[in-house]
Amino acid sequence: MADVERARRALLETLGPQRILTEPLALALYARDGSMVQGSAAVVALPTTVDELRTAVRIATRHGMSVVPRGSGTGLAGGATPVTDALVVATTKMNRILEVRPKDRLAWVEPGVINLDLANALRPYGFTFAPDPSSQQTSSIGGNVSTNAGGPHCLAYGVTSSHVLALDVVMPDGSLERFGSEAPETAGYDLRGVVVGSEGTLGVVAAICVRLTSLASDVRTMLLDFTTVEDCAATVSAIIAGGVVPAAVEMMDQGIVIAAENFAHAGYPVDAAAILIVEVDGEPPAVQAQARAVERAATAHGVRTIRVAEDDAERALLWKGRKSAFGAVAQIAPHYHLHDCVVPRTRLVEVLSGVYEICRRHELIVTNVFHAGDGNLHPLISFDLREPGTLERVLAASDEIVRLCVDAGGALSGEHGIGIEKRDFMPLVFSDEDLEAQACVRASFDPTGRMNPFKVLPDGARCGDHAAARGTEAAVVAASLPEGAWI
Amino acid sequence: MDLIHPETKIDVVNAMRRASNDGVRVLIVGGRRHLDKGNPSDVDTELWTTQLDRVISYEPAEMIAVVEAGIRVGALSDLLAEGGQEWPVDAPRDATVGGVIAAGMSSPRRSRVGHVRDTVVEMEVVTGDGRLVRSGARTVKNVTGYDVHKLLVGSLGTLGVIVQVALKLRPLPAAGRSMTLAGGLDAGDAALDAVPNASSVISAPATTDVLLQGWPEEVADAEARLSSTAEIITARDADAFPVDEPWGDGRVVVEVAVPPSRLRDVVEPLGGGWHALVGVGIAWVGLSSADGELSGLRARVSSLGGIAPVIRGPGGLGPSPVPAVEVQRRIRSAFDPASVLAPGRGWV
Repeated sequence: MADVERARRALLETLGPQRILTEPLALALYARDGSMVQGSAAVVALPTTVDELRTAVRIATRHGMSVVPRGSGTGLAGGATPVTDALVVATTKMNRILEVRPKDRLAWVEPGVINLDLANALRPYGFTFAPDPSSQQTSSIGGNVSTNAGGPHCLAYGVTSSHVLALDVVMPDGSLERFGSEAPETAGYDLRGVVVGSEGTLGVVAAICVRLTSLASDVRTMLLDFTTVEDCAATVSAIIAGGVVPAAVEMMDQGIVIAAENFAHAGYPVDAAAILIVEVDGEPPAVQAQARAVERAATAHGVRTIRVAEDDAERALLWKGRKSAFGAVAQIAPHYHLHDCVVPRTRLVEVLSGVYEICRRHELIVTNVFHAGDGNLHPLISFDLREPGTLERVLAASDEIVRLCVDAGGALSGEHGIGIEKRDFMPLVFSDEDLEAQACVRASFDPTGRMNPFKVLPDGARCGDHAAARGTEAAVVAASLPEGAWI
Repeated sequence: MDLIHPETKIDVVNAMRRASNDGVRVLIVGGRRHLDKGNPSDVDTELWTTQLDRVISYEPAEMIAVVEAGIRVGALSDLLAEGGQEWPVDAPRDATVGGVIAAGMSSPRRSRVGHVRDTVVEMEVVTGDGRLVRSGARTVKNVTGYDVHKLLVGSLGTLGVIVQVALKLRPLPAAGRSMTLAGGLDAGDAALDAVPNASSVISAPATTDVLLQGWPEEVADAEARLSSTAEIITARDADAFPVDEPWGDGRVVVEVAVPPSRLRDVVEPLGGGWHALVGVGIAWVGLSSADGELSGLRARVSSLGGIAPVIRGPGGLGPSPVPAVEVQRRIRSAFDPASVLAPGRGWV
């Protein structure tokens, strides 16, 4: 068992009270992330250098504590929620952009750098960091790496994994390894590729070498509105089938359009059944050709109006409504639960209809804003927890929505991750053998199971002999996880 | 021992179970296009994947194709062309999809369309001891568990038999031009500055080939920009671009990977016989043998932070250090506990 008291003393003595938090208020603040899962932190470390980070990890694991890496804490699946006897290592103070090398099309950054800060810093060089999750004003690059974050523009540019060349990772024993390299190929298996999206369960990311993407020389942002959801979704498929891969295709249904318009005053058509925000970019001739193809596809599917942003200010306004949608729903009810599942894009309409039906049956308000081009749905259930019985209805509906997406050939998560929330759903999409192989990959990095335990994989998933190290301790703690922890 | 030539995934499962039980060492073979990449390995038999060549599903509106891994690149390309799409990995038509993935092949167009690893969204693999393991999903984005399939890209047949993959596709470019410019790396750098989204820029000592692809107006515009800044030797259809094996002749071909700005340091000391993928950091170097010349090149590449495996002829992968070697070994033994998959061939 963990000797938390000795670990706490050793951490305080080595790193000092500036870096180590032990006060009840601080521990409470770090006991949860952007999800609704409540955990508990034993100690919090705020390292400012790689060496401090290594020291913190080494001391914690030597004393049997688990280590929970954390970026800005915006995660929505409970991946950064400490479960028990955990040292939370928050990398928010490691927030320097270390170097930008335009000739090599790369930059080295610390994990706490905020996504939008990096994009802004790269702009003068004519580059950007392509992943742009809606949380980009607060989420960190380290967190983006851990969840293999997406965002509206990953339709054309790919998810975080495509934009990470190398990672410096603090391993569970405190050693430092570099996976990937500044060169386009590396010796050995692609460990970089499995660490991206591993939700902090394989090690703590200490530095990231990101690939730079050239800023497009021209961009056109269009708002398309439809009188039926079906026409709107069919337009998405028609655009793709017509040979255009727009930079972004975002869909919003009427409920979310109304909420966003009240908040952002973007001039969204509140009487539309659904709208699309389509952005195409590239060299000016390519932008014109793509825009024409988008208009053709939309016209063939009954688009009512097409509004083209005339300038950067109007473009920003159109995006403001989309990117602030999750905040705007506070008008509907005090609490919300945001889903994240991904389905083949040709099945968007039937899945969406199913989501409406499920929520109607459970008497819940649902609005939808999602990355339609990727088939990535974000149904958002609004509710008031103070009403008796609400939580049970939300749980039941959420469970059905997950199963609906899986039945349509989808995955459990498009960009938020599994964390604690969805780990018990993993057997819905993977066989025992699949999960055993994943457990083996995890155990290969972390044989003693100290890195962010109880996340991603369900309890049954074990890697042959490697599992012995966790044994009964894991089972006891798993039994103490709160019921319905996943919502 | 007899050749293994399975017709179904279950055949592969049974064959690998037997091989592991009996200690039979197996070399996994697709189109025989990438067998030179890797260190020498003594095996007892070959497992041919070429009968696993079915198309499981292809729906153009999804921009994803699900195929068995033994399908030939040419057959897949023909099918996808009917849907107006492509798997943006340039490989010989007789290579298999699984072979290209297992070799982690570097496509000449990767600066624009990305690496082969980014195109594999779901994979089924049969481990060395005959377990069928799936990871990923048939969706363009997905964060559901560990991306086990990433480990298989470039694994050189040491972790398992790739039996089925879901591939992320792209629309076929509507137009294309292949331009040959006068000048080597300087011309290549200038071309990429003039047309940053060129599909490929390959420089040789005295000439540079540029592939332009996209919408007709876009390609015409790019051609005009290039013509005003470079000395054009020829401008032809895109088909003329040497995508399949851009390294030309050479008994031994080394695929050097270094940070893009260090390409010059790799190729300048060489007399000729090199082709450099500008902006990416790949250089294909042709040598007459795998003797002293190769170790000199490898030492130089290593000091630049890169690697230099041979992809044609003898010479193997080279002595590059591998990160977290214990992690790599544990992964290998978890996937191939009896060590029957091409022992010695991989990096660890």
